[in-house]
Amino acid sequence: MYNVTFYLRRLHSLCGLVCLGGFLLEHILTNARVLISPASFNSAVDLLASIPPQIMIPLELGLVATPFLFHAIYGAYIGWQAKNNPQNYSYINNIQFWLQRMTAWYLLVFLAWHVFYLRFLVKGGGTHISFQLLQSYFQNPVYWVLYLIGMWAAIFHFCNGITTFCMTWGIAKGPRIQKVINAGSMALCALLCLLSLAFMAIYLV
Amino acid sequence: MAEQKTVTFVIERQDGPDQKPYTQEFDVPYNPALNVVAALMEIQKNPVTRDGKRVAPVVWECNCLEKVCGACMMVINGKAQQACCALVAQLKQPVHLAPARTFPVIRDLLIDRTVMFESLKRIHGWINVDGSWKVHEAPRQNPYTAQTAYEISHCMTCGCCLEACPNVGPQSDFIGPAPVVQAYLFNINPMGNYDAPTRLNALMEKGGITSCGNSQNCVQACPKNIKLTTYLAQLNRDVNMQALRNIFDN
Repeated sequence: MYNVTFYLRRLHSLCGLVCLGGFLLEHILTNARVLISPASFNSAVDLLASIPPQIMIPLELGLVATPFLFHAIYGAYIGWQAKNNPQNYSYINNIQFWLQRMTAWYLLVFLAWHVFYLRFLVKGGGTHISFQLLQSYFQNPVYWVLYLIGMWAAIFHFCNGITTFCMTWGIAKGPRIQKVINAGSMALCALLCLLSLAFMAIYLV
Repeated sequence: MAEQKTVTFVIERQDGPDQKPYTQEFDVPYNPALNVVAALMEIQKNPVTRDGKRVAPVVWECNCLEKVCGACMMVINGKAQQACCALVAQLKQPVHLAPARTFPVIRDLLIDRTVMFESLKRIHGWINVDGSWKVHEAPRQNPYTAQTAYEISHCMTCGCCLEACPNVGPQSDFIGPAPVVQAYLFNINPMGNYDAPTRLNALMEKGGITSCGNSQNCVQACPKNIKLTTYLAQLNRDVNMQALRNIFDN
């Protein structure tokens, strides 16, 4: 009667692109400041940390935590209903569909670990986040690799999400515009992946 | 005389709806014009497996033999397609045949596609002509939308798109690309358009168009080359507009 599924699916699409996509871009751009200098990165982190918790905590809860949990839980329910078949139908869009789900499963585990450790244990425990702290954290090559995969998974999931968003909302209708948008978002994906590789590489040297 | 060339068919069989599937191999005399239906007819004439065992003939469904009725859809070498127009010369050998397990299997390659017709009822897949009002002359067709309507009307409910779609199957309630796109066919008809809100609201229900995951397999699988993804995107647009109307009109 009230088509709850319809509104949930549309909300899932919208909060994925706007809230989580926006947060991912902010995350990448802040982290990319290590490419300028570690001091530049530290000042960006300090600037974010200078926002009083009375403002920061509601923002984090409302614009990040809630959309994240909704997108993850409802997304897991959607992903569970797919019978992935890229081995029989190995078309590029179907491989993207499959990757969208595979990156989602990885991110589910990765983000639980990432948020629990860095946000709750380290930052929540009162430790000041800085370049130096992350550098010592990434001395473990396993962490470094898992973080890079996590970053790439999130970037692909977001960029492929732009393409599917345009289809789901009826913005891109014909095959030509769908191809153009897909090419554009995959180019953005490649660019952001290279950028994240570049700033992650700084921690190695 | 030269030895007769043969083709091996590996067929996934099943004795009944709740029986366990098993495979059997058959050799069929090859000729350049052989298609999968003709090969199945050969097996029916002489149902002897490669290892010489006489078995029950393989059950399948076919009717028109010219890619119009949709009845002979099955999974051939992993891809859903019409058996009548699957030329063996163009297939990788041995040829693997399996039923489209998106649908309930009745026996061997025979499937039950009732769910597609139920879905057509759900989306109001018809045009209301009769009523207590006077039936006037039929309204004129827009020649441009009529071309689109002609294209979509080629749909033969074969189920290729449903089998190829990763979001359709026993695990999900998605009605699949074919029934969804049929709603557009009736929406662009000048008379059918009166019921467009009914159809769009039906598409908004659980298992409707929102379950589409944009894998775009349907448009690749469609044997009638219907631009399914284009009409799905158009319907997404229409459904979103309908949702706004539902919210702000009441």
